[in-house]
Amino acid sequence: MTAVDIALFATVIGSIVLFGGAAALALGWAFRDGQFDNFDRGAKSIFSPDEPIGEATDAFPGMPPRLRKTPRPGEPTAV
Amino acid sequence: MNLPPFSVGPAGATRETNIEIQTLAALHMPVTTAPEPPQYDRVKSAAERAAIDASCRGPVLFFASSAVFWLLTGSMLALLASVKLHIPYFFTGSAELTFGRVRMAHLQAVGIGWASLASVSACLWLMCRLSRAELIYPKMLYLAGVLWNIGVFLAVVGIILGDGQSVEWLDAPPYAPPFFVAALGIVSAWTVAVFRRRREPHVYVTQWYLLGAVFWFPWLYLVAQFMIFWSPAVGVVQPIVNWWFGHNVLGLWFTPVALGSAYYLIPKIIGRPIHSYYLSIIGFWSLALFYSWAGMHHLIGGPIPAWLATASTVGSMMMFIPVLAVAINHHMTLLGHFHRLRYSPALRFTVFGAISYTLVSFQGSLMALKDVSATTHFTHYIVAHAHLGAYAFVSMIMFGLFYYMVPRLTGREWPNRTLIRIHFWCAAVGITTYFVALSIGGWWQGRMMNNPDIPFAKIVAYLLPHWLTRSLAGLLLTTGHVAFAISFVMNLAGWGKQRSGGPTFFVESVEQKTYPPP
Amino acid sequence: MDRGMVVFLGALLTFSSSWLGLVVFPFWQLGAEQPYQKEEGDTPYPQPLQGLALAGRKVYQNNGCMYCHTQQVRSEKFGGWWDANGEYKTGADIKRSYGLRRTVSRDYIYDNPTMLGTMRTGPDLANIGVRNPSEPWHHTHLLNPRSANSWSIMPSFAFFYTREKIAGSRSDKALSLGREWTVDPGYRWRPSAKQWDAIIANRGNDLVSQYTTGQPAAIDIQTPEGKERLLEFWLTTPEEEYQVIPNADAESLVAYLLALRKAEIPLPEAKE
Repeated sequence: MTAVDIALFATVIGSIVLFGGAAALALGWAFRDGQFDNFDRGAKSIFSPDEPIGEATDAFPGMPPRLRKTPRPGEPTAV
Repeated sequence: MNLPPFSVGPAGATRETNIEIQTLAALHMPVTTAPEPPQYDRVKSAAERAAIDASCRGPVLFFASSAVFWLLTGSMLALLASVKLHIPYFFTGSAELTFGRVRMAHLQAVGIGWASLASVSACLWLMCRLSRAELIYPKMLYLAGVLWNIGVFLAVVGIILGDGQSVEWLDAPPYAPPFFVAALGIVSAWTVAVFRRRREPHVYVTQWYLLGAVFWFPWLYLVAQFMIFWSPAVGVVQPIVNWWFGHNVLGLWFTPVALGSAYYLIPKIIGRPIHSYYLSIIGFWSLALFYSWAGMHHLIGGPIPAWLATASTVGSMMMFIPVLAVAINHHMTLLGHFHRLRYSPALRFTVFGAISYTLVSFQGSLMALKDVSATTHFTHYIVAHAHLGAYAFVSMIMFGLFYYMVPRLTGREWPNRTLIRIHFWCAAVGITTYFVALSIGGWWQGRMMNNPDIPFAKIVAYLLPHWLTRSLAGLLLTTGHVAFAISFVMNLAGWGKQRSGGPTFFVESVEQKTYPPP
Repeated sequence: MDRGMVVFLGALLTFSSSWLGLVVFPFWQLGAEQPYQKEEGDTPYPQPLQGLALAGRKVYQNNGCMYCHTQQVRSEKFGGWWDANGEYKTGADIKRSYGLRRTVSRDYIYDNPTMLGTMRTGPDLANIGVRNPSEPWHHTHLLNPRSANSWSIMPSFAFFYTREKIAGSRSDKALSLGREWTVDPGYRWRPSAKQWDAIIANRGNDLVSQYTTGQPAAIDIQTPEGKERLLEFWLTTPEEEYQVIPNADAESLVAYLLALRKAEIPLPEAKE
C-alpha cells in the first residue's frame, strides 16, 4: 500500500463514520422532535377548502364539468 | 386583503373585487341563512391562492416565456445538428453552422435556456403556493430573468461565432457564466425567502425537492466553473469535475424540480393525496445521497482511478431505491384515476414524465455496470438515454406544469384543445421514436465498434437510417413545440376565453362548489 | 418534516459527501502528477504542446470536434467480440490501433481543456498523429472528408481554406486535389451537361490528348460514353488557374492532430 492508498482508505472510512453518524443522529433527533408524527396531515396539506380532496382541478379547455368527480358522501372535502 | 385583478368570478368577469365576490356569493345563497363556515372558507382560500398566484404572475410568466423562446431556438439547433449527421453537405459551407458548434449551442439553449428557466418558474410558483406566501420584491426577479436571458444569448451566439469551450454542459464562452451565476443567486435567494415567509406550517415534499435544487445547483455551477475555467485543474481532474457537474445538473437540479412538480401536480389534479408520505421521504433522501455519487459512470473505462468509477457504479445501483419509491408512490396515487388522463392536459404530460423517470433511472443504473457500459459508452445509445431523461422525463413534466400553471397566472384558459393535443401526441410519439431508433442504433454501434474486424465505414452506414429516423422524430418534437408556443402566446395575448365549465379555478369555484343545494 | 433546517442540513451533508469524494479527493490525488522519465536524462513524457499545435487545440475546442471524436483508449479488458473462430476476445480499442496501451491520467497532465470526449461518431484521435502522420492527407480530409473516404459523414471544414487565383506559380501549400473537390470547396462539383459540352467544344481535343498520354485505349468524344469517360478523368485533374490553400486555422488544427501521440509511450501504471 502506498501512502496515497492509505490516505484514501482513511478518508473513505473516516467519511463513512462521519456521515453515517451524522445521518443516524439526525434521524434520532427527527424522531424525538416529532417530525414523523401524523404523516397524513402532510400529504393533505396541498388541498384547501375550495380545491378539496376528491375534486379534479384540471381539464381541457371547454370540457364539461360533469367529468369531475363529486365527493362521495362521507368523504372529507376539506383538510 | 388585496385581491388580484382576476380571480374567482363567473364567466366573462375577469376583474373582481372582494366585495363583488361576496355579493355574488350572496346572490346564490339561500337568503334566509348566513354563509356556513366551510363555504365561506372556500371563498377565502380561493381568494388567498388567487392573491398568491397574482403576486407570481409577472416574474414567473417572464421566466416561462423566456423558457418557451429558448425551447424553440434549441429545437431548431437540434434539428440542424441532427440532419447534418445523415446529410453531411447540409449547411456545410459556414463555420457558424458546423456540427460541433450547433451541437454545443443546442445543449446550452435547451439546458441552460429552456429546462433551467422552466425549472426556475416551477421553483418560484410552487414555492409560493406551497408556502402560502406571496412573492415579494418581484423587480429583482425581473432583473434575474433579464440577466439569465443575456447569459443564454451570449452563450448560444458566442458558441456559434466560435467561442465554444468543448466541456459538455459547460460550453458557454467565459463571458456568459457570470450572468447565470448572478441570476441564479437571485432566484435561489428569492425561493428561500419565500420559504422563510411561509404561512403553511407543513413543509410539503415538493418544497424539500425545491429547496435542495436551489441550494445544489449554484454550488455545482460555481465549483465546476471554478475548477474547469477560472483556475483550471490538471488533466483528467477536469473531466471528473465536468461529469460530476454534468450528471448532477440532471440529478440535483432538473430531477428534483421535475419530481417536486409531479409530487404537487398529480395529487392536486386528481384530487387525491400522495399514496405514502413515508415513501416520499425515503425517495427524497436516498436521491440526495446516491444521485450525487453517480456522475463518474460517464468515465467508466476512461483514464481515471478505478475506485472513482466503482464508487459511481455503486451510487448508480443504489438509485434503484429512490426510483422505486417514487415510481410506487406515483403509481399508487394514480391507481383508479387513470381515466383522468383523458380529461386533463397537465396530468397527461406529468404522468408521461413520471413514467419516463422510472424508465430512465432504471436504464441509467444498468448502464453504469461495467459490462453494459463497455458496449454503450461512446455511442448514440447515450444520446437516446440523455433525451429520455432530459426530454421524456424533465421536459414533459415541465410541459405539464406549464399547462397547469399558466392559466392560473394569466387568469385565462388555454385557447384551443386541438393545439394541446397536437403538442402532446407530437411530443409523445416523437420522443418514443427518437428513443427507440437511437437505442437500437447505438447498441449495435457499440457492438460493432467493439469488434475491430468491422471497418468503421460499415458502422457509419449502419447508423444512417437511425439518424434519419431521429431527424423525423425531431421534426415531430419541433412541431409539438410550435403548437405549444402558439398556445402559450395566445394565452398571454388574451385570446384564451373563459368558458363555463373550465378548470375549477374559474367559474364554477363560485357557482357550483361554493353553493351546493342545502 | 416541518423544519426547513432539516432539509437544508440534509442537503448540505449528502451533497458535500459527493463533493469531497468525487471532486476534492481526486483533485488531491491527481492534481500534482508529474511527467514520466524512465531514466535520468530521458525526455520526460508527456510534453506540453507548443506553437501551432497549441493554437490548433483551440480550433479543435472551439469547433466542438470532441463531440464526435474521443481521445481516450480503454484497456485490454474493455470491448469484447467473438472473432471468426467463435473465440471471445477483448481490447477492441487497442486492436483498432487507437493506441498501444490504455490511456491513463498522466497522458493528460498538459491538456487544458481535457477533451476526453464521450462519443465516437468518428474514430478515436488519441494517437492520430502516429496512426496517420500525413499532413497533406489531413488537409484534403478536412477540406472535404468525402475526398478521402466516400462514406464519411464528417462536416467539410472548407471555411478553413481559401480558393484563390494562382499568381505566378502554384503555392507549395496548395492542396493537390482534383477539380471536383476544389471548384466549390467543401462540396463535390460536377459541370452540367451543357457546361461540359461547351468545354468539350472549346478544348476537347486538348483534353483528349492529355487523357490519351499513357492510356492504352483511345477515346471518342463524339459518343456519350466517351464524353463521360473524359469527364471522369477531367474531374480528377487539378484546376489550372486556381488553387486551394489552408488558412492559419487549418494549419494549426493539422499541427495539433499530428501532435496527438497519446497512448504510444509505455507508462508503468498502464501495464494491466
